[in-house]
Amino acid sequence: MSEEVIKKPKYVEDPNSAKSKLNKITSDHYSNLWMAKEKGEMIGWCASNFPQEIFETLGLTVCYPENQAAAIAARGAGEKMCLISEGDGYSNDICAYARVSLAYAKIKDAPEQNMPQPDYLLCCNNICNTMIKWYENLSVELNIPLVLIDIPFNPDYNPSKAEVEYVKNQFLEAIKQLEKITGKTWSDEKFKEVMEISNRTSRAWLKATNFTKNTPSPLNGFDLLNHMAVAVCARGKIEAAEAFELLAEEYEKAVQEGTSTFRAEEKHRLMFEGIACWPHLRVTATELKSRGINMVATIYADAFGFIYDDLDGLIEAYCNVPNAMNLEHARDKRVAIAKNTKAEALLVHTNRSCKLWSGFMYEMSRQIGEACEIPVASFDGDQADPRNFSEAQYATRVQALTEIMESNKGGK
Amino acid sequence: MTKVNELLEQFHKVAVSPEEQLKSYLSQGRKVVACVPVYTPEELIHSMNLVPFGAWGAEIEVREAKKYFPAFICSILQTTLEMGITGKYDGISAIVIPSLCDSLKCLGENWKYGVPNIPFIPMTYPQNRNNDNGRAFTKAGYLRVIDDLEKITGKKFSEAELAKSNKVYNLHNQAMRRLSDVLVEYPWISASQRNDIFKSAYYMTKEEHTTLVNQLMDLLLEMPKETSNMKKIITTGIIADSRDLLTIIGENDMQIVGDDIAHESRQYRTDVNESKDALEGLADKFSRMDNCSVLYDVDKKRGDYIAEMAKRTGADGVVVVMTKFCDPEEFDYPIMKKKFDAAGIPSVLIEVDMQMNNYEQARTALQTFKDMLN
Ligand code: SF4
Ligand code: SF4
Repeated sequence: MSEEVIKKPKYVEDPNSAKSKLNKITSDHYSNLWMAKEKGEMIGWCASNFPQEIFETLGLTVCYPENQAAAIAARGAGEKMCLISEGDGYSNDICAYARVSLAYAKIKDAPEQNMPQPDYLLCCNNICNTMIKWYENLSVELNIPLVLIDIPFNPDYNPSKAEVEYVKNQFLEAIKQLEKITGKTWSDEKFKEVMEISNRTSRAWLKATNFTKNTPSPLNGFDLLNHMAVAVCARGKIEAAEAFELLAEEYEKAVQEGTSTFRAEEKHRLMFEGIACWPHLRVTATELKSRGINMVATIYADAFGFIYDDLDGLIEAYCNVPNAMNLEHARDKRVAIAKNTKAEALLVHTNRSCKLWSGFMYEMSRQIGEACEIPVASFDGDQADPRNFSEAQYATRVQALTEIMESNKGGK
Repeated sequence: MTKVNELLEQFHKVAVSPEEQLKSYLSQGRKVVACVPVYTPEELIHSMNLVPFGAWGAEIEVREAKKYFPAFICSILQTTLEMGITGKYDGISAIVIPSLCDSLKCLGENWKYGVPNIPFIPMTYPQNRNNDNGRAFTKAGYLRVIDDLEKITGKKFSEAELAKSNKVYNLHNQAMRRLSDVLVEYPWISASQRNDIFKSAYYMTKEEHTTLVNQLMDLLLEMPKETSNMKKIITTGIIADSRDLLTIIGENDMQIVGDDIAHESRQYRTDVNESKDALEGLADKFSRMDNCSVLYDVDKKRGDYIAEMAKRTGADGVVVVMTKFCDPEEFDYPIMKKKFDAAGIPSVLIEVDMQMNNYEQARTALQTFKDMLN
């Protein structure tokens, strides 16, 4: 070889790609927050599944402690923040998102992901009752008002009329409460517009995520975990709808051209259950990729796809989020996803933080495995506290699944 | 005195052997319905001539339930499911499970598959409860429970019978509230005996229990009141029925002068307004319940409530009995602790679990706490 150094061309992201548009929406989300705060606008902290149609219509600026906690954990500060809350008397047993968030409310600075302090709180417990406890404490510690829309866990397959009525009345009441807190006014016209955009975003998101059904899949399923942030925090914004539509187009093209963002040969297709282990994202993804396993199915894809026609439909959609459903409904949804994407195995994250998500998952995953005739394995982890994950255990479980997938193929 | 001791023995017997009570009800041909914490509409069950039977777990080993629950679910629910799977509840007609915390939501779902022979009846309560919308939803939840009970047991519901049951439960509530205060004057009744009285209420009909509690109070009030050098404490938490823990409290010369335990006094704070229609009245009762970790409270008044109770009863300190893995209580603790500190009330946290065989840590913590109070 000569002295010449062969330089790899520097990777430049195409600013017109869906990925960079989606990333921009996320970064704009945070910079807009700071601008709003500087202008003296009131800021809300909001639960990820609070009906965003309310504050989009009112034109309020909100941010999401769950997203922030995930970002902080992914950037390595989960344990540091958890320890601060534990020092204040919080048990290490409670949801790590809550521990990170309560710590942030106290120290008000996390270089990994800062966001402005809130003037009011928007809570919805359709994902868990933990949310209520967490927001109650924020409200007391920060001495700011809290609006709760209570959407109970539904023990039946579909929400009852009584439930829809109960939630709808709270939805209307929340609007009044927020008008009073923020001084903004409600417009039915704007509400209609927001509903349209939200549906458009949700449809595009579902369309894009559905491309994992192709073999090979045009995307690495872990991409969805990143894009999800936009589905959470910008569903009612036109840019989000456009970016997801573009994403769907790109995937369509990739299918035609036989390309994929999964940078390995796709030997196996896997369904991943649960929230990502943010502190160990790289390890969990690499362990799969190195074996040629692509994650093609996750309930997340559906979790933020809210499709509805009118207010009743909207309410029903919020009553029907994954963590508010009974086992049978939750199981059927997953079975449909696993079948649609031809997943060959189910890998379950037993998430130490999330009692609701993990509390009946053993039985549900047994049933999914049987219905889809696929092997199931679980590993212990946590979405934000790095202490509850063992790389060795994860590798062993993935290895076990790989062997079964391989032998299943060999036998065919 | 012998009569008092006889009564205390009677409470004790029931408290330590619920299975005998269950057998006896079943052998009398009564239909029994298991009631899972934290709040179950017992009045409805009682009004349909069914026997409500408390299901708050037990100090047993967990094996089968591990197939359903991961390890980080509280032992009340682990052991309740274990009892169901292993046949300890056989003969029971149905189980009512309210979903006031995340783990309780999971118990219902697991129950359907782990214990298919005992039907699961869900009770869904509202959190935004103290308004017409909340009350209507509570009522809808009760109607659903009634409907399921009718289908499963063949019994019929009537408003008139419910009105009677509401009265029975109100009388029991009043007796239990009074009991807690009366016992303050009789420090020789131990923490374990106090717990026997509360615990036995879950395995007897309320009429029977009220009669015995009233008899006990009448007898006690005839006796001279006593003063003692014991340290007076308030207990707070979900459940505090571990014999070992109660013994340690006694050994450390502590007297429970009031409690905010879900399994004890939290059940008895709120009465049905009997001037309302029976079912409306029951829904209204729930709407007014408060100061509990599983009931939404934006003002988080519970710490103040306990501080106030400590003042009223002259308590020297608060013992927080924390059920391991109980996240609603774990969230309340730091806020309550601040309130106790601000009010100058000493407090100590003891973590308990129904599988605990070693109480040394609890013992040391309580000894240190006692020294601090001195
Ligand atoms: S991880 Fe689970 S407990 Fe924590 S906020 Fe999310 S749904 Fe709730
Ligand atoms: S409230 Fe606490 S102790 Fe009761 S069932 Fe829920 S987690 Fe368990």
